[in-house]
Amino acid sequence: MEFYTNALQNVLTLWPIAAMVGATLLGVFIGALPGLNPVMAIALLLPLTYSMDPLVALAMVAGIYNGSMYGGAIPAILLRIPGTPASIATTFDGYPMADKGEAGKALKIACWSSAMGGIASAIALMTVGPLLARVTLYFGPAEYFWIAIFGMASVGVMVGSDPIKGIMAAVLGLLIGTIGIDSLSGQARFTFGQTWLLGGLDLIVVLVGLYALPPVLQLAEKCDLKGLSAAQLKLTNVPFKPGELKGLLPTWLRASSIGIAVGILPGAGGNIAAFLSYNAAKKASEDPGSFGKGNPQGVAAAECGNNADNAASMIPALSLGIPGNVVAALVLSALTIHGLQPGPQLFHQNPVLVGGFMMEMLITSLLIFLLGGTVATRVFAQFQRLPGVLLVPSILILMCVGVYVINGRPVDLWVMLLAGIAGYFLEKVNVPLAPVILGMILGPMAEQSVRRALLISRGDATELLTRPLSATLAMATVLVIAWPLIKVIRDRNRKKREAGHR
Amino acid sequence: MERRQDIFLGLIFMGVGAAAAWMARSYSGEGGTYPMVLGILLALLGSAVAGKALRSGAYVDRQLIEAPTKMVTAAAACTVYIALVAPLGFYTSSFLLMLMLPAALGFRQWLYAVIVALVFTLVVFLVFSVLLEKPLPRETLLSLLSTGG
Amino acid sequence: MKMKTAFVGLTTVIALSLPAQAEYPERPIELTIPAGAGGGTDTSARKLAILLEEALGTSIAILNVGGGGGSVGASQFMQSKNDGYSLFATWNSPLTTVPQVQNVAYSLDSFTPIASTSETAYTLCVKSVFPAENGQGFLDELASNPGKYTYGNDGIGGTMQLAAERIFQANKIDAIPIPFGGAGETLQNFLGGHVDIYGGSISTVLPYVENGEAKCLLVTSAADVPALPQASGLEALGMADKETLLWRAILGPKDLDPAIVKKLSDVIETAVNDPGYVEFLKTKGEVPNVVKGPDLGARLQAEFDALAEVSKGLGLSQ
Repeated sequence: MEFYTNALQNVLTLWPIAAMVGATLLGVFIGALPGLNPVMAIALLLPLTYSMDPLVALAMVAGIYNGSMYGGAIPAILLRIPGTPASIATTFDGYPMADKGEAGKALKIACWSSAMGGIASAIALMTVGPLLARVTLYFGPAEYFWIAIFGMASVGVMVGSDPIKGIMAAVLGLLIGTIGIDSLSGQARFTFGQTWLLGGLDLIVVLVGLYALPPVLQLAEKCDLKGLSAAQLKLTNVPFKPGELKGLLPTWLRASSIGIAVGILPGAGGNIAAFLSYNAAKKASEDPGSFGKGNPQGVAAAECGNNADNAASMIPALSLGIPGNVVAALVLSALTIHGLQPGPQLFHQNPVLVGGFMMEMLITSLLIFLLGGTVATRVFAQFQRLPGVLLVPSILILMCVGVYVINGRPVDLWVMLLAGIAGYFLEKVNVPLAPVILGMILGPMAEQSVRRALLISRGDATELLTRPLSATLAMATVLVIAWPLIKVIRDRNRKKREAGHR
Repeated sequence: MERRQDIFLGLIFMGVGAAAAWMARSYSGEGGTYPMVLGILLALLGSAVAGKALRSGAYVDRQLIEAPTKMVTAAAACTVYIALVAPLGFYTSSFLLMLMLPAALGFRQWLYAVIVALVFTLVVFLVFSVLLEKPLPRETLLSLLSTGG
Repeated sequence: MKMKTAFVGLTTVIALSLPAQAEYPERPIELTIPAGAGGGTDTSARKLAILLEEALGTSIAILNVGGGGGSVGASQFMQSKNDGYSLFATWNSPLTTVPQVQNVAYSLDSFTPIASTSETAYTLCVKSVFPAENGQGFLDELASNPGKYTYGNDGIGGTMQLAAERIFQANKIDAIPIPFGGAGETLQNFLGGHVDIYGGSISTVLPYVENGEAKCLLVTSAADVPALPQASGLEALGMADKETLLWRAILGPKDLDPAIVKKLSDVIETAVNDPGYVEFLKTKGEVPNVVKGPDLGARLQAEFDALAEVSKGLGLSQ
């Protein structure tokens, strides 16, 4: 408890509060603009936080993350354009509600649901994180190897409709991760004689390219010259029926638990959490037919689910140093930028910072209640009157400046451009991009851990499996890889049986 | 369409994987085994994608680029911009991009575009150069003016 | 704070637009750091830069270029103009250690030494149950059990490993080096019992020495370190010549104007001895140490030669 009261004292000072309020507003704004997504915003912001106090920098990350998850609901409801990938499920019932003239109500529900999901998730982080961190001291190189492999395996399997392409993307990421000096032998790999490649490709450079350039190019393709008219953004206020809010409680509870579970597992992100929550709400409903036709429960489930994913995805990141999704990876690099080593030591040596970050995740969720109300929403909706074609060069410039300031060399801009164009086409042919990034992060970790483990065991590979912890983790990995296979075989058998009955 | 795309995609990954494995040959010890295994794996996965498409690929229409001229315009503008950032200076080239790209995409409200470009460039300047003091490529225009004056 | 930086920035912008021909420095200086933001080199250089900004009356822009154990930043910096507006704040490893194990494009001649700023020793620590209580006992235990103990270090061919191997070679010790990503990671694995010996910076392990979990028995400096009373300095063990330290310095590109070197080294000397900076160094377990100009060049060359011998013995050299 002292852990959190100390942290709270440090968070409740001028700059962190200002950063949280500002960043939450900025997050809602970013989420509300289709074409800008939270990953991109945080990636752009990160190089700027080098010179800031870490608590202020993390406050901004927390605000943008939570704010943008809600912000995505605004265009999803008003225009049926998801502001972020995670708000796709919000369009299902949000837009029909707006169509019926209940846009104001839908936005209110989205706002409250987002806040509820975020709060539940932050509480999960605050309880599970420190507990997990206590265990992780027993994790040696062998265990870290298995955790990295587990992360890779579940990413490849969970992302995308085509698992082969998912795994292929992950292997590509692993290969990119080997570029540069091998820290265990001093061997330079895939550097083509270029000194700037000795340090490997910068994660943020590749990430900005992969995640920011494709949406920008798509924005250019849409070529929106006018922006929205005022009439399209008109909101009417429809009062709630008695008991309607109370009826949302079970949905919130369900969606929060789903979001938290998805957040802890590596690989899946807010969009999957929102879909799963939406489907669960539909299944539990007495009137499933009303979903998709403007049922407030649908909006509540989707928005609560995607926000509940946020803080929970920080649990493995903070306690183990293993990022569950791309934003968590960014938070980890924010921590290392400030000289902090994620893992059990972090809780021990920088309790104020870790506790503070958790507090900030909680506070920014609460801020959505205050800042995401109809008034703010109305203001943000106005930004959609800006013509899309003007956004295209603005985002390009922000991307370039963000990438340039990392290492101060123009060659990084070319890397970003190349990554972006590759990302554009890969996405079009159904190759998911998240595994590429996670491969880049987890690959070096897996390789170094396994080689360290072998050095410690004097080359005896069986020790990777014989320690109780490593054996358990290895089993879990095998299960994750085998699960889809088992499912396929089961389905096939069932189909055979059904065919036999006929 | 989809079938041809997947075959092509598989072939590219096969090529990348094979090239990586080939290059990793010369690397010493364990530092070379790992990338070589990855390269071979990537080549195998690529051939699996291509093979799957060959066997069962449906001729579903899947558009690679929705509006090719617009996409190419934007990508080309970005390339030119990146090429100009270092020699021309950051703010000069950014301002040019803010004006030229919307125009190239068909935006004709000139005054609107100039105002947005000015405001945006100013905000970027205040944030990056004044507040954060980040070193950005120096303005050729500015140094030309100062030596000339 | 923000207002102040904004103001400084604004004034430099104004100053920039006026074509005044004042003496050096008349415009902002760019300081390259060959490590990512946030590490020990970065924080100490940034703190120093604030003091230098005041003393020089110009702003200093920091550029972090990490990777390759510092060689990426050093190679990039090598190409900058020698007009005095590009400086390089580094620790010794990219200049004296990395060239032993990597093919790098630079040599000691690619830089103009200006001044060193601070230094600290590395330490070797064990768990409290280890059967030795002082430096000599530690070395004896290791020597009588060849191949039994593993020690964590900051990377193969890194300064920390070479510092330890220099001592081990002299005592015919065979211990197994396990490279980690940095002192923090080494510490985590040491505390978790995955490696037997912690090898790395003093400040990282200090809290665990104070709570009794770890005991540090050896430091790689000739003198003892007051913060670690149980540890022996190398002089006490009769190996004063095997000293290897971690130290930081500011350098310029090749053929920098001697007048600028003189001005900068004097300003750096005052800044390093600023009470606030000395206090800051103390929290990192470092002490101020200023060696200026050509003397610094000689120090670099001597260290380079000694480490070349050690890495040859280890079969690491290129």
